[in-house]
Amino acid sequence: MTKSQRYDKPFERPLKAYAFDPSQGRNLGNYMTVSIRHEPLSPGPIGRYLAVIDYDASNDSYYEPVDLNDPSVLVRGGLEPSESDPRFHQQMVYAVASETIRRFEFALGRRTKWGFRGGAKDDPHRSRLRIFPHAMQEANAYYSRDLRALVFGYFPASETDAGASLAGQTVFTCLSHDIVVHETTHALIDGQRRFFMEPTGPDTPAFHEAFADIVALFQHFSYKEALIEMIQKTGGLIYRLNVAPDIAPGEEGPLISSELATSNPLVQLARQFGEAMGARRALRQALGTRPNSKDLQKLFEPHERGAILVAAIFDAFFSAYVRKTRDLMRIARATGAQVSPDNLHPDLANRLAGEAAKIAGQFSNICIRALDYCPPIDILFGDFLRALITADYDLVPNDVYDYRAGFIEAFRLRGIRPENVVSYSEESLRWCPPEEMKNVEPPVCKGLKFDVFSLPTQTEQRENAILLSRFGRNNARALGLRPNVPVQAHSFHPLHRVGPDGRLHVEIVAELMQQAELKLDPKNRKSPNFTFRGGTTVLLDREGKVRYAIQKNLGADNQENERLTRQRRFYVEMDAASGLTTYLGSSRIDSRPMNFNLIHRGY
Amino acid sequence: MPDTLKPNTIRIRMYRIGFGDCFLVSLPTSADEFRHLLVDCGVHGAGNIGTLDEIVDNIATVTSKKLAVVIATHAHQDHISGFAPQKFSQFQIGEVWMPWSEDPKDPKAVQLKKKHVALAQQLAQHFAAQAKMGLRVSKSRTAAVAAVANLVTNKTSLDALHAGFGVNAHVRFFKGGDSVPNVNEVPGLSVRFLGPPTDESFLAKMDPPAGHSYLRLNRNRVEVMNQLRPFADKWEIDPHRSEMKNVRLSQTEEKRIKTDIASDSLDGLAFTLDNAINNTSLVTLFSFRGQTLLFPGDAQYGNWASWLEQDGSADILASISFLKVAHHGSVNATPTDALEKMATGKFAAMVSTQSSPWPSIPRIPLMDRLKEQTKNRIVRSDSLQSANFPNAPKGPALTKVPKGFQKGDFWYDYLIKL
Repeated sequence: MTKSQRYDKPFERPLKAYAFDPSQGRNLGNYMTVSIRHEPLSPGPIGRYLAVIDYDASNDSYYEPVDLNDPSVLVRGGLEPSESDPRFHQQMVYAVASETIRRFEFALGRRTKWGFRGGAKDDPHRSRLRIFPHAMQEANAYYSRDLRALVFGYFPASETDAGASLAGQTVFTCLSHDIVVHETTHALIDGQRRFFMEPTGPDTPAFHEAFADIVALFQHFSYKEALIEMIQKTGGLIYRLNVAPDIAPGEEGPLISSELATSNPLVQLARQFGEAMGARRALRQALGTRPNSKDLQKLFEPHERGAILVAAIFDAFFSAYVRKTRDLMRIARATGAQVSPDNLHPDLANRLAGEAAKIAGQFSNICIRALDYCPPIDILFGDFLRALITADYDLVPNDVYDYRAGFIEAFRLRGIRPENVVSYSEESLRWCPPEEMKNVEPPVCKGLKFDVFSLPTQTEQRENAILLSRFGRNNARALGLRPNVPVQAHSFHPLHRVGPDGRLHVEIVAELMQQAELKLDPKNRKSPNFTFRGGTTVLLDREGKVRYAIQKNLGADNQENERLTRQRRFYVEMDAASGLTTYLGSSRIDSRPMNFNLIHRGY
Repeated sequence: MPDTLKPNTIRIRMYRIGFGDCFLVSLPTSADEFRHLLVDCGVHGAGNIGTLDEIVDNIATVTSKKLAVVIATHAHQDHISGFAPQKFSQFQIGEVWMPWSEDPKDPKAVQLKKKHVALAQQLAQHFAAQAKMGLRVSKSRTAAVAAVANLVTNKTSLDALHAGFGVNAHVRFFKGGDSVPNVNEVPGLSVRFLGPPTDESFLAKMDPPAGHSYLRLNRNRVEVMNQLRPFADKWEIDPHRSEMKNVRLSQTEEKRIKTDIASDSLDGLAFTLDNAINNTSLVTLFSFRGQTLLFPGDAQYGNWASWLEQDGSADILASISFLKVAHHGSVNATPTDALEKMATGKFAAMVSTQSSPWPSIPRIPLMDRLKEQTKNRIVRSDSLQSANFPNAPKGPALTKVPKGFQKGDFWYDYLIKL
């Protein structure tokens, strides 16, 4: 018997990481351990989905790769957090990205696929997402489909105003937990939804940014120590941005650090990055401005607009948390004790933390799962609300805890109105099955190949794609596709999940796409071309019967086609804001995916 | 046609300066007296058609070397390169107006300015060094190089402006919200400034990220400047070692990543910086005897957005009688919101533009919409063609000079009879 067979394979691999970023020091459980799914690794680390390659293009050099299987590393549960050892950086990006992938797989009920193809035949990392933790000297990090990579930069902190960092010290974007989750999420969405990266309106780039922020922020609530501490400090009101000091300062103002008010890291994103850029605050927050319906009309920069969606989701989350913990608060108060920041009973804090973590996990899952219920292109914030409601309804038909009501209220407060919906009631927000919409028998796609235990092979995938394309063509009307226009099937995903009632749900998600080559200005023959896409996300049950057909119709090239008119208008107006088009112009408008490189520069 | 001013008539003269701006506004203050305001005087090095000297001579003749106000809307070559000290020191100049971002007494402005200048220098050096090395460069490079050229070598003009041209001109700085109810020496003129804003979110957008490394030529050798070595030497590893086989990139890929991320992203930075400076434009609204003239400089979306949402902006836009089209008619310099609020047929517009060095300027759909909104009372400076500048890029010829406009040797005039 060989050594390895005498022990069971471990399920998990513990690795250390910063919960936030190095600027938080050891406070608030900032040194945390991430337990990721165990997989065979070679130095890099290089695993099944990820390949960490520490090439620094600015210095044209390589840094020593970490070997996470080295016994000295294993017995420690991974290297200790360190800013000066690149091997810890590699470990952390690998751990945090893997954790994010696992969250997605858990919520979506299937294995991850990346959105890029290709790479040279002899490239050992063809199918993996590459991570360059120190790619360049620049205050920037982004996902690039072209490079098949997450690219992280490092930069000197502002000399004049660096917040908690030392002036001029090197700041590593790959050591910000939030930034790693955010960029990994971009890559994961791109794997699910190939066309989401095409900016077709102000909501599409904003959605991409918002979603990445949402996933990163929910991750905060899984850090138990930080959570308990913040619950103590805020008296359970964890959504408060500012935290009262431990001791109220005297008349002469704060004298010691305990008398200084601090901010709540749970609801902030990438604090060190924001501060090191001289902005004196975190890059973004969970709850930006007061809920209002005006912001949607005036904010178009992707991050600013995305913040509206982020706030809507976190409004729903925190409201659910308040509702579900009200009983605990009442019980605590019944004893005559005060429930306030300086004297929260540790047991109560523990229970509150448990609730907050559980609800955050559920909300994060609902959001990720909703991706499958989104139209294949041109997503609007309102579509996402409908996707959330439908996805959650499918898995949990009775909304005992009013989660869905909470989402609806939070979106309504921010003026996010789904199109073609008569009211904000749950029934009208749910996508409807084809029979209700068009009064037709739901079409059935027979013969799809998939099984519960393994991913479809490449041949099966191809056959499925052909089958689905034909299915789309033959049922164009029922599925909201344009007759006599070719249909392409994309991203066929079988998925399996277990509902709270213990039932196993088996479903299939696929995107059926159509496209047309159109002039930006239909009246001007010299005007540039763009690809206008239409398509339908179909959710099939295991017999292949259509349960939902979520549509963005291609329509005809005429005035009545509102979506087309809107998209044209968007290209004319908003594309301009990039600064690039001012001087470059363009002969073709879209099809180039969103340039995260530029978006993330933060302008 | 004799080049004389008509009594009781405002004249706005747009010079054909190449890619740049130079506007002379002459206001009748009494039956036969005029006061003159000069809004910008500059041309981009890559869009210069060699008319600057004639233009400055003409300004001297028309004004008898007396300017009530000189406005430099923002510190870009194509708006200020013509403010040569030796020429303008022979003028009598009442006041020099610039945006707050130029104010040497405003610490925020100083800090920002320092950063902008340093960054522009670095980008210029980097582009020059890369050109020297003969590296493959991106498609956007030519445009980026031109954008950076617009930012550097402005020192002489700026110094002259700040010194009031050495003729005791009163140098003043303004921000959005400021106003001058009575302009000295120009009875009847009141001025409001709509931009540039000063709020935090605007400032954040003005603050370009620093701390990148760049290349520089030193006696024909390329050096890396500002380079940060993030780790101690011991962590660097030779990629040719056998155990690195799986964790290194092919040479082609290394090269690609080097150009793609470490270097081309600087193009983007160049455009962003250019955008930021455009947005410091002083947006000036002149009110004179019932006429309202809007000169937004090169204001781009961020600058407009700051006051478009304020109460009363719709009334202002509806009331204007003349619009200098911002940023040479580029795509994001005249927000749809703003243009649609102007009263159709109630205003005229002038665009100082040409499609070199940047072919996407001016933006054709914008030009078309302006034609509709002004009922054809709009001219482009590059429609003017003349044997005086035979090699200048030619814009669409004007078959008929619109009503209220006149053509000259180096200019178009727009006349408003009071």
